Amino acid sequence: MVVAKTYKDEIIKLIDELYESQNDNIEAAAKMMVKAIMNNGVIHVFGSGHSVGLGIDISNRLGSLVPIHIMDTADFVYRGGVSIEEFTDKVNIFERRPNMAGRLYNLYDIRENDVFIVISNSGINGVVIDVAALAKENGHKVCVITSMKHTTVEDSRHPSGKKLYMFGDVVIDNCGPHGDALLPTNGPEKVTSVSSICNNVVAQTMAARIVELLKEEKVELPILTEDEERNQKIRKYYGGRI
Amino acid sequence: MEIKKKYVEVLKQQIEKAYDTQHEKIVEISNMFGKCMSNNGVVQLFGIDHDEEFVNELNYRAGGIAPFHAIKIKDLTLRGGVKVADVESGSIYLPENVAKTADALMGLYELDDRDMYVLVSTKGNDPLVLELAKRVKANNQKLVAVVNKASYDACGGTLLDYADIWLDMCSPEPDVALNLNGVKIGQTSSTVANVIAQMLTAETYRYFIEKEGKAPVLFSANIKGADVHNNALTDPYGRRIR
Repeated sequence: MVVAKTYKDEIIKLIDELYESQNDNIEAAAKMMVKAIMNNGVIHVFGSGHSVGLGIDISNRLGSLVPIHIMDTADFVYRGGVSIEEFTDKVNIFERRPNMAGRLYNLYDIRENDVFIVISNSGINGVVIDVAALAKENGHKVCVITSMKHTTVEDSRHPSGKKLYMFGDVVIDNCGPHGDALLPTNGPEKVTSVSSICNNVVAQTMAARIVELLKEEKVELPILTEDEERNQKIRKYYGGRI
Repeated sequence: MEIKKKYVEVLKQQIEKAYDTQHEKIVEISNMFGKCMSNNGVVQLFGIDHDEEFVNELNYRAGGIAPFHAIKIKDLTLRGGVKVADVESGSIYLPENVAKTADALMGLYELDDRDMYVLVSTKGNDPLVLELAKRVKANNQKLVAVVNKASYDACGGTLLDYADIWLDMCSPEPDVALNLNGVKIGQTSSTVANVIAQMLTAETYRYFIEKEGKAPVLFSANIKGADVHNNALTDPYGRRIR
């Protein structure tokens, strides 16, 4: 039966499964990020559609890491020469298109030791795959967050036929079901979804571990605290990169 | 306890608390959503920054219910002629400017007297959210508020003065789950709010099945055939929901 309690019980189970099955991958990703941050790198986070939530969730709050840069698809319109009509085209859907990502990628100050987190539940669309491919071509490490149950049964919409996870130095499975919808019904549809919640759990646990590892290295922690003056200093240090 | 595990345990406790303390109101609000939608109304959603995560969790979501619509700050800059700098500087949110901002924002959409509203504000004190709340109530439309009650009380929120009914994100103030020898990290409020949004989806589905025998459930846009199914649900609303 589809009621609030069924969802609550199922999401708790899924969060446990996510922790048990992905802890090692999240640990590996955290170490990769720590190495980058210690070498003056920043973390570029890219997701389109509902996957934008992950970057937002771990940014700009008390305790958030500062060296995080969210690559925003709206920048295609603000600065990338894409019209709003093209961006919101309901037929030739923008996020599915190949060969567009360079216009976004080249807008940003991306430096040698930077790393990438690229998120897509399906992992089949043109723009995310191209961002990950560009990052790899330019010698950056890439962490991919995707639903392995989804991505392995749908065809890629990228001309290479490749899926996003193929570009990951570390791949984290958000453990969500195919199509993201969770609860079965008496009809053909499934209802409610999980990816935003699972992605937040991945991001928050990874961020917490990054801070813990940085603390063990005894470096000045690049995180937001209640000291606003200190926060401004850290933000200024990273400047236009974030 | 290992830090990632610790985060997961705190989060799960808060999700349980959200279910225990909020589920009766979740049922009541879902019935309000169902009634509004059955009467050709749309549930309008609005929140700023991190509060937009909750909005995104109900708006055009895989496994979600179709007749929701998000009022988005980004639309002001993408389509409303507002400068990005005025959003980033926060000037559009200043008390003296919110009436103008609300006019611009609400002028972008096809809003309808049959609609109801969900306004999300962790602290319940965003001047722009309060401006929208006043307008919704002046027009005799139903208003649901979502706040983090601990933050609301600490920050002197007033949003609940306008709400017909409200939900609590059940997270602490400040919103941190972990304390590493005095270093506060790891936010939970948005993820708990996302779980609440999904419980609302489940109960709204239950309402539709009980009353009408079928429910307008969207499929993930990233499975074959989904576009046709989803467009059939959303096209009758025209610009009211996409």
